[in-house]
Amino acid sequence: MDGNPTPAGIRNLDRTVEFARPADAALADRTDWPDETLMLAILERDQHAFAVLYDRYVDLVYSAAYRILGDPGLAEDTTQDVFVRLWRRPETFIAERGRFISWLMSVTRNRALDEVRARGRRWKREGGPLGDPAESAEPVFHAAALDPGATAELNEERLAVRRALNELPPEQRRALELAYFGGLTQQEIAAVLREPLGTIKTRIRLGMQKLRRCLERGR
Amino acid sequence: MDAPHITQEQADEYAIGSLEPELARAIALHLAECSRCRDMVREAERVAALLAASQPLRRASPRLRSRVFAAAGIRKPGPAWRAFTIGRAAAGLAAIIIAVGAFSGMLGLRTQVNALRSQNADLQRQIDEALSQKVALAALTQKLEDQQAVAAELRETLKSDSELFIALISPNSQVAAVVSVSPERGSIGRLVWDEDQKRVWFVASQLRQLPPGETYQLWVNSGGRYYSLGTFAPDDAGFARYETRVPEGITSYDTAVVTIERAGGSPVREGPTVFFVTELSRLTRN
Repeated sequence: MDGNPTPAGIRNLDRTVEFARPADAALADRTDWPDETLMLAILERDQHAFAVLYDRYVDLVYSAAYRILGDPGLAEDTTQDVFVRLWRRPETFIAERGRFISWLMSVTRNRALDEVRARGRRWKREGGPLGDPAESAEPVFHAAALDPGATAELNEERLAVRRALNELPPEQRRALELAYFGGLTQQEIAAVLREPLGTIKTRIRLGMQKLRRCLERGR
Repeated sequence: MDAPHITQEQADEYAIGSLEPELARAIALHLAECSRCRDMVREAERVAALLAASQPLRRASPRLRSRVFAAAGIRKPGPAWRAFTIGRAAAGLAAIIIAVGAFSGMLGLRTQVNALRSQNADLQRQIDEALSQKVALAALTQKLEDQQAVAAELRETLKSDSELFIALISPNSQVAAVVSVSPERGSIGRLVWDEDQKRVWFVASQLRQLPPGETYQLWVNSGGRYYSLGTFAPDDAGFARYETRVPEGITSYDTAVVTIERAGGSPVREGPTVFFVTELSRLTRN
């Protein structure tokens, strides 16, 4: 459909969340719509809204999938699955659960880790394909230079987290990455790194604390 | 609700996916009911999402776009998108016509496989959610069954109490004192013989615990012959309440004793006597 999404909102567990309805003049350019409004439009089968959301986030999704899978072909397959799911089941995005980007990254991570698991436990035993992406021959570009559709706030937060990650002690960063990108539990990380479980828990706790603090400072 | 709230550390571990599956499932169940913890986890999930989003960016292949739209079943993309792609489409039209002929079957199959894979992942997630709910339901069912068992036990105890009370006030019941063979201990309980209900109760306290392999056994003597009324054991506080039916063929007893026999009981009285039964009137006189 080409029309404006109705302001009915996405029905949630116990209340309806409403998003701002764009003015008629803005209909032609959905690139200005916030993520949640686009999702509402997608709920009503607005293909243009889907195209805008795709363009806005495809590189983020692909990059996260690549970070987990370490393979361009598999990362593309995962990206496809994520967006097809987004189109077919937009209602699974529960607006009240948090921001769209949190949901999208969570779906991407789960789908990519499903793929890892489907390909056996070998990657897990070896700590996952978690080499430094900068070592890859694939071209890497910087967040500040692209994604014009993404919000300035998101870009700022991404850069802030990036800076904070670079400042983390390597062992804390490694623990966070093995958990999030490797899909390993604390017990499994302890086994991979041959460290006591308590040490791994501390590293994850301190790492998350620092990332959160850095985001709070940026507000 | 009564369940304790999760800690910030648990929220972080949940968001980053480092918890053991059982604990993660327990937290997920808690989150469904606790808005305070849900807010904490949402915030942690935002940090985790930014961890993913802050990774060095890579450009997805432009070809991926058409793949995704085809797999999504979007046949008529918007004007902006069509304008963007039409030039390239025209330029590659001849090649596409040839390629489609050769590879349409393969591409179609690939698209179907990807769509099936996506559906499979969705289905798997639905199964996981259903399993979580099943686990919670099983726990509730078990709790209900436990409570029903406790209620049934209480009902039995109440019924037994009522019957004992009726026996105690019945004119046809015989209530006797249970006395230790050690003179210094004296009376430790009662034996109630109810001819109307055809039931016998043995109630006593201050019983010592017996070593493994031994048991207390109650006997009544009627017409010069001892009949076993069964074995019993005291609880941790040394209290015993034993209830049984009057043996077939006898209507009253002359004497009664408690002996210590081997575990499981003895068919004939063999062990030492530790308690005997005497009429209350005689006990009072002594």
